[in-house]
Amino acid sequence: MTIPQDRLRNFSIIAHIDHGKSTLADRFLELTHTIDPRQMTSQVLDSMDLEREKGITIKARAVRLEYTAADGLRYGLDLIDTPGHVDFSYEVSRSLQACEGAVLVVDATQGIEAQTLANVYLALRQNLVIIPVVNKIDLPSARPDVVIEELESVLAIPREEVLLASAKDGTGVPEILQAIVDRVPPPKGDPEAPLQALIFDSHYDPYKGVVVYVRLDQGTLHGHDRILLMASGVDSELLELGVFRPQLVPVERLAAGEVGYVATGLKSVRDARVGDTVTSHARPAAHALPGYQPAKSLVFAGIYPISGPDYPALRDALEKLHLNDASFSFEPESSVALGFGFRLGFLGLLHMEIVQERLEREFGLDLIASAPSVAYRVVLSHDRGIVEVDNPSQMPNAGEIEEIREPWVKLSVVSPAAYIGSLMELATGHRGSFQQMEYLDPQRVLLTFELPLAEVIVDLYDQLKSRTQGYASMDYEEIGERAADLVKVDVLVNGEPVDALSVIVHRERAQVTGRDLVHRLRRLIPRQLFEVPIQAAIGSNVIARETVAAMRKNVLAKCYGGDITRKRKLLEKQKEGKQRMKRVGSVEIPQEAFLAVLRVDEG
Amino acid sequence: MAKVPAVGDGTGASAPAEAAPAESTVDIAPAEAAPAETSPAPAPAPAPAPAAPADAAPAAEPPAERRPPVALYLHVPFCVSVCPYCDFVVYAGSAARGPRSLVEPFLDAVLAELELRADGLDMAFGAPATSARPALASLYLGGGTPSLLGAGAVERLLERVVARFGLAPHAEVTIEANPGPDERGDLAGFRAAGVTRVSFGAQSFADAELRRLGRRHAPDDVADAVAAARRAGITSLNLDLLYDLPGQDQERWGASLDAALALAPDHLSLYALTLDDPEAEGLAGPLGDHLATRPGARRWRERARADQDEDRAAAAYELATERLAAAGWRGYELSNWARAGHESRHNLAYWERRPYEALGPGAHAFDGRTRRWNAARLDAYLAALRPRSGPPHLPPGGAETPDPAQAEVESIVLGLRLDRGVPAALGERPRFAAAIGWAMANGLLERLAAGESDRLRLSVRGRLLSNELFARLV
Repeated sequence: MTIPQDRLRNFSIIAHIDHGKSTLADRFLELTHTIDPRQMTSQVLDSMDLEREKGITIKARAVRLEYTAADGLRYGLDLIDTPGHVDFSYEVSRSLQACEGAVLVVDATQGIEAQTLANVYLALRQNLVIIPVVNKIDLPSARPDVVIEELESVLAIPREEVLLASAKDGTGVPEILQAIVDRVPPPKGDPEAPLQALIFDSHYDPYKGVVVYVRLDQGTLHGHDRILLMASGVDSELLELGVFRPQLVPVERLAAGEVGYVATGLKSVRDARVGDTVTSHARPAAHALPGYQPAKSLVFAGIYPISGPDYPALRDALEKLHLNDASFSFEPESSVALGFGFRLGFLGLLHMEIVQERLEREFGLDLIASAPSVAYRVVLSHDRGIVEVDNPSQMPNAGEIEEIREPWVKLSVVSPAAYIGSLMELATGHRGSFQQMEYLDPQRVLLTFELPLAEVIVDLYDQLKSRTQGYASMDYEEIGERAADLVKVDVLVNGEPVDALSVIVHRERAQVTGRDLVHRLRRLIPRQLFEVPIQAAIGSNVIARETVAAMRKNVLAKCYGGDITRKRKLLEKQKEGKQRMKRVGSVEIPQEAFLAVLRVDEG
Repeated sequence: MAKVPAVGDGTGASAPAEAAPAESTVDIAPAEAAPAETSPAPAPAPAPAPAAPADAAPAAEPPAERRPPVALYLHVPFCVSVCPYCDFVVYAGSAARGPRSLVEPFLDAVLAELELRADGLDMAFGAPATSARPALASLYLGGGTPSLLGAGAVERLLERVVARFGLAPHAEVTIEANPGPDERGDLAGFRAAGVTRVSFGAQSFADAELRRLGRRHAPDDVADAVAAARRAGITSLNLDLLYDLPGQDQERWGASLDAALALAPDHLSLYALTLDDPEAEGLAGPLGDHLATRPGARRWRERARADQDEDRAAAAYELATERLAAAGWRGYELSNWARAGHESRHNLAYWERRPYEALGPGAHAFDGRTRRWNAARLDAYLAALRPRSGPPHLPPGGAETPDPAQAEVESIVLGLRLDRGVPAALGERPRFAAAIGWAMANGLLERLAAGESDRLRLSVRGRLLSNELFARLV
């Protein structure tokens, strides 16, 4: 049954992690009878195991709610779920672009957090109507008045617009649905005009091919229309179209303003990219919708199978996963220490962690990641241009470099005021500079800093949490690049560089980093038949050195009648160990040594 | 006969006549080589103990043939007290001494096993001391502390060995003994019973080291024990010493070595203290050849291990190698040194991969094809061989038949423990060539060309690093 355009509402829920976004979505689904109560699990929209475990939304999802409002009429509310973590703000902005309104959820016990701000700014930038909700008012420690105060002073949200709710027990939830109907404008767009539908997400289905999630800006799409993807120029007979309830439910047609899916039958996601515009082959639109900036990888790391023969399986897994998550990039690379693998680009550290975990879980792989790096822009001397380097081992020699530029971010931290001093120290210790401080309420402050992204991705988040006993939250956005006095520290084993261990650090930090790497590696490399120097070097300048003494004794003292079988087995075990060794020059190093160096965070 | 500048050549005028065959075994050891002995009458062999399931898939090369033993090991599993570093099958305390001692039941049991094993050999190879089944060239009473047995018991054992296995004239008959006055036993009585060689567990000449090791004797006891053995007419005498002991420095080690040399032994076994965990290797199960390590011993080993040092151990070995060479000794095996003619013929049989029979709990035997062992536990051993009803039967245990490739590896690995090394041709086989080439290039192996014989042997550094090569050969 079709719902007229003036009774459609497209909205998102935006919130800081753990402020109750997914629980609120669950209540919406129940209240609108979208899901059979017997099939109701918690956090319905977070269907990935990882999402449930981590309590976060990784991937946006959409769902059509049918709600009978106070006026007795049935409305179609398309909820487009959004991830809450800073790494995924790109995904959030994409979702918001398909909406006219956003429900802003703030925890009544926590107040505004860093991502609350970030997400609100994203929504405001898209001119969305914001419906502020103070959630968790059932908790004894709830302080809705303070939070309302914060919303007013920090975000200029009038207090009379704020709704109070408890998504957990359902208090205030019908009022939120009613507010969506009342306050969010219906989508505009002429259903009779040529079709323009923006792809905001996609997944791959083995039977239906690439399934794109679209919002129709104008025009109407009918089943069995022939569609054209405007950017890629590919056309296709569509197999099915429908809405999200939240499973895919086919419908006869989708009209301007509606959110739904289109099964394209296409075999390659490359042909149906997120941000492309779907139009009708018979009557194409004059021009495509503006689309999106492609996701920009901020963090890079090598991902390697722990056992070499898994390489083809890893390649396979990456290709499959990429169909579901186009926001990471990958290309093959190889490493002396780690063998064959891939260089992956991620939206952030959490994204990196999630991609690695999904590869391991969903594809049964055992992986090791090299230390994460940012992308540097290197200006070569003698006007030989600029190269981008996201793998430290590829950094040109110091002599060829005019200047290295690194990405910087603006970091926002919301924290109890008691930790201001400690946070200042933390930021300056990470080459940051303090910008601004604003009191959200007498006890809480919003601090802003500028600092290099490379400093953020090392351990900043963990340190922030530990210094504030978990109370502070952070968010960052890119603010361009700046030149810095950076150097590449190489680790050499017996004179041979170990590519996976090269790092780019600020010159002042090079000594400490080099000494630490060399020291750790020395303890992990077994003695060889000869003395093995382990050095850290900047170019040809050795900044730290330790030595693994030569092995002097590996012998079975006794070998009599009762020992022969046992000792042969022992030797066979030693041989297996040797076969697993990686060779750097003539030095045999157990892969575990590299893994240990890469894994250990000695913060 | 090819002249080999090793055992055969160095044994000198006093070498017993039967030393000659020792030289050939390593050379023929590769599994496909025909055994020297002719096959015996096709009498059914006694069923071997249940084979380990790991036995390999059918190998391309035919399995080696069964051969009669040249040596016999008899394990006496009793000590007055157990030393915390020791992994041998040992029972101490009331099991070893006093009214509830298990020594007599054990003697009955081991004699019963002796008869059963000999029956099996009779069936396979015919009567002892014939050309198809030559008399034993050596007998070794090991332990434990076999010197705790009375002379009468030793005499009884030897008598049955002679009757059922045969003992060649001038055969080497060794008994292990502790040096303490209450443990060294009736040396004259042993000699009279036929013992020709005594091996004393001296371990150290430093009082503090002996105490830390849990030894019951004092340094001076060793001299007394040696004197007593000489008085008893023992002409071949070994001392065991340990290095890389917790707290041992080079000076102390040198001093122990000198003190041992001052007693003019004929043979020295110098072992790096090795602290294993047989349980972790899965050797202490019901059919395993080891007993579980006691918790106290386990703790002792953990502490001692932390106090060991690879560099110190290597230096100790090098010191011993130099000092003994200067004194005219020959390091004929990785851990064994002898004055000319006093190489242990019994132990050479192991390294030359010759067949040996074995009796007693935890003891291992090898018949040229299959290695079998008795389970370590004395109660199960006694229950099988001294049953309440019915005839004695063979004790529980295990067996393993190395496939031809494994047999070849054993030959080269064991052969390289000896200073005479292995024939160069063995090292040229395709499966060994890369590892041998690597070892030559790294100075672990040296070539020994003398006359017609062309052999490979470990250098001194190569001895210390021999596992690096061996692990590449397996």
